Amino acid sequence: MAHEDCEVLYSQLAARGVTRRDFLRFCGSVAALLGLSETMVPRIAAAVESAALKPRVPALWINGGACTGCTESMAQLGSPDVATVVLDLLSVNYFETIMMAQGEDAEKAKADLAAAGGYVLVYEGTVMTGFDGNALRVAGKPQTEELPELCEKAAAILAVGSCAVDGGWVAARPNPAEGIGIQQFCEDHDIATPIINLPTCPVNPEWVVAMVVDVLFLGGLDEQGKVAQALVDKLDDFGRPKLIFGQTIHDNCPRRGHFENGEFVYEFGSEEEARGYCLYAVGCKGPQTFTNCPIVRWNEKATWCVEAGAPCIGCGNANPLSAGGNWVDVGAPFLNRLPDLPLSDTTTVQPAAAASVVGAVAAGALLVHGIGMKAAGRMDGGAPYEEIRESDRKKGGGR
Amino acid sequence: MVFVLTHWINLIAMVCLAFSGFYIHYPFFPGFMGVARGMHFFFMFVIIINLTFRVVAAFFVKTAVSLGSREVDTDIKNWLPQKANRRQLWPWIKYYLFLKKDHPLGAKYGVLQKIAYIVTFPLTFIMAYTGFAIWGPTMDWAFFTAGVSWVGGYMYMRVVHYFLMWVFIIFTAIHAYLANVEGFAPSALIFAWKESEGLHFDKEGNPMSGASH
Repeated sequence: MAHEDCEVLYSQLAARGVTRRDFLRFCGSVAALLGLSETMVPRIAAAVESAALKPRVPALWINGGACTGCTESMAQLGSPDVATVVLDLLSVNYFETIMMAQGEDAEKAKADLAAAGGYVLVYEGTVMTGFDGNALRVAGKPQTEELPELCEKAAAILAVGSCAVDGGWVAARPNPAEGIGIQQFCEDHDIATPIINLPTCPVNPEWVVAMVVDVLFLGGLDEQGKVAQALVDKLDDFGRPKLIFGQTIHDNCPRRGHFENGEFVYEFGSEEEARGYCLYAVGCKGPQTFTNCPIVRWNEKATWCVEAGAPCIGCGNANPLSAGGNWVDVGAPFLNRLPDLPLSDTTTVQPAAAASVVGAVAAGALLVHGIGMKAAGRMDGGAPYEEIRESDRKKGGGR
Repeated sequence: MVFVLTHWINLIAMVCLAFSGFYIHYPFFPGFMGVARGMHFFFMFVIIINLTFRVVAAFFVKTAVSLGSREVDTDIKNWLPQKANRRQLWPWIKYYLFLKKDHPLGAKYGVLQKIAYIVTFPLTFIMAYTGFAIWGPTMDWAFFTAGVSWVGGYMYMRVVHYFLMWVFIIFTAIHAYLANVEGFAPSALIFAWKESEGLHFDKEGNPMSGASH
């Protein structure tokens, strides 16, 4: 495509102070996130350029039981950058937090699009099924009433943030609102729309941009407007893009050297912390959390949790179809190595405490038994052997 | 003799695995993580190879039918339930609870002892499985990810691995206690290959003539 044809896009970019060079560099980082080689950068650029000429792809941003943190995460793309321009290529017809329309107008826009189908459904927050769906009411109705149709008619569902993936912290014990993820909801309603899960709390905007490019501009959708098999193949067992969620934080951690050397922060405010040692001993969940945070980083690549001095709390842990698999139940208390295990809805026990008690009881029992053996005079070779087995004696037999 | 060696290897490997495992669980002093992990992986292979060898050897090597006996039989036969073990579970429980005064007759190993020992074999392999499931190089093998999904994620696999270690620690405590509480003859045999007059019943589990008790 000739450069002049893309004036629409480049004028948009220029209006935001973004040069063509910035744009191509951005396409390079998207290529990396999607696992494509450098040679694919022009194709990504061309795809985005041509998308700017076509009618924009409709999208619905639906909030479930959400703290709006994921919306914030997207909105806080502070300086006008390329990512916002790409996201502008989506025509977001409904977005409660930031849309201009209100009331019936807004609801009508949503209903019209739902009737037309073929949109991208971005779901943020937990699906609240508790109290017959009344845990979350939208426009005077339980959200769970409109959700099946919205999911069914969508070309693809992007579950942004851990809450949308598996209920997240909203679904943590005791979970009175019976929060679940959007995938579990679709499973319960036999809805086959492909779902791309993007956990973490909040979601990283760069991943959303990469997935939008992949789904919409790089042939992620087939002729029927459904997500193509090629895209589904890029997802892992939990519906997460393998490239983003394929390695642990521990694998790529800048503090990993300190881990191997056994240099740990044992206490906040200590000298070890000032030296930037490994946060493993203060409960870092990096070893079992699969995200590429250390590489992509956060806040426009400025920094990320562990680099900023906080142990990973495992917000990227997600288990879409397993109640209790949410990252809070799996990781809390965050400064401990192992999680609290539930004994009931409100009481928990630390594995080490439980094991120590069982171990101490066993040791005590052996001690008491030993005293008994001594008292019974069995220490020296044990008691004399029975002349005949008890069972034989009862039969009156014996040899 | 060969089983004196395997027992020594087992003991050393178990102690090293438990210690390094505790350290990896929580590094209670600095500077040892690389070594602890190295130890853990090394002895993990040692114990798996040793245990596999031990099981295979049990089918070929002959061992005494009872402690102090000169009569030998294929080792595995002494391990699996024997005729002499029949109907002796309850007497053994009563004996250990001081509800029975005289020592139950048995085969080389008592009923409870056999259950404990036989369970230890699969348990060690299960332990290895849970370890491989959370070990970087093998954690993404489908064989292991299936188990990880089943227990609800890597974190819970760690918890399972941790609790299983405590099962081994408690097993070892009970094992060491019972093996020595009635005298040190079993220890002398398994550690130093020093035979003793030992206990006194034959292959059928009947008291032997000349028994000192």
